Amino acid sequence: MWFLLGLSACGTAGALHQTTLMGQCATDDAACSRRHPVAPIAVGARFHPEVEADLAGSTTPNLRLESAASDVLAVEGDALVAKKAGASAVLITTDDGSVVDFVHMWVAPITTISLARRDGDRLTGDVGLAVGEDLVIAPALWHDAQRLAGEADLAWTSSNPAALEIMRDGSTDRRRLRARTPGKTTITVALGETKASIDVEVLP
Amino acid sequence: MKLALLALTLVVAACNPILSVESPAPPGRSARMDEVKNFWGLQYYRMELSTGVALALTCTAPSPCEHMKVVSDDPAIVEVRLASLGVLQKNPWGQSSQQTSAALVVVGKAAGRTTVRVTSKDGDRDIHITVIPSPS
Repeated sequence: MWFLLGLSACGTAGALHQTTLMGQCATDDAACSRRHPVAPIAVGARFHPEVEADLAGSTTPNLRLESAASDVLAVEGDALVAKKAGASAVLITTDDGSVVDFVHMWVAPITTISLARRDGDRLTGDVGLAVGEDLVIAPALWHDAQRLAGEADLAWTSSNPAALEIMRDGSTDRRRLRARTPGKTTITVALGETKASIDVEVLP
Repeated sequence: MKLALLALTLVVAACNPILSVESPAPPGRSARMDEVKNFWGLQYYRMELSTGVALALTCTAPSPCEHMKVVSDDPAIVEVRLASLGVLQKNPWGQSSQQTSAALVVVGKAAGRTTVRVTSKDGDRDIHITVIPSPS
């Protein structure tokens, strides 16, 4: 019984143990940046939460999210937007403002960006691709050794766009790289002054 | 006459609701409530809360407080809400009486001092709250 509960407890339980807050991710999407609701949210990033309630004798009522410190973490539409480093309680309320539960969430600045394949395997060296081949890359945001949650508006650039095309794949943060013509290129992913890059050689 | 007045005061004080903390403080932040007593018993509660932090409380007298209302003297410093806590609480003096908990949530909004007033059919309680700034 407890083993089964452990498998399903993939989010953050509220302080009153009546709700669970988690990121909106497909179960087989290892690279989903919204998967880490227990981690701090990166400054400037958006986190799309999903809330499940476990209320005795009741299905989940209409719920709303409210931030205790909107200068740290603001609720904008269906997303939590990290404004500056700090902590804020996120109140989970019914339509009439009655609090069902709350979760304290943290916001941290980004110190490092890493790049990984879609299966989560981290890219640490050069990459070789044959013409016509695709590679999906997902960035991860870090505060020192701690992985951060949230999607940030990262800037993607290629030093040789003719060799390698950067395409969107429907996700805010992931990109699909398609090898077009033989040549060497450097892909750079940046958020402000924080950057990560990989060298890619396209082979005939 | 004085003795009767003393007895009446003790009885009235004993009947006022008791507030209990129901949630922990987050790491590195303050969220605690203590009783302030004198010779006559519990006078009020004092609470220290960091900005951005929420603390859940329940009200019992001794069964869950009936018709509870909560008001903050300064909502810009402390916001207070009723909470829906889906837990049944037994009246320790009654054999079969149990009711859904009467709960509230206090939220530190800005540094300063204010008072939250809890009123119910069973009596009133004040919480004197100091909100301290969170570390940046």
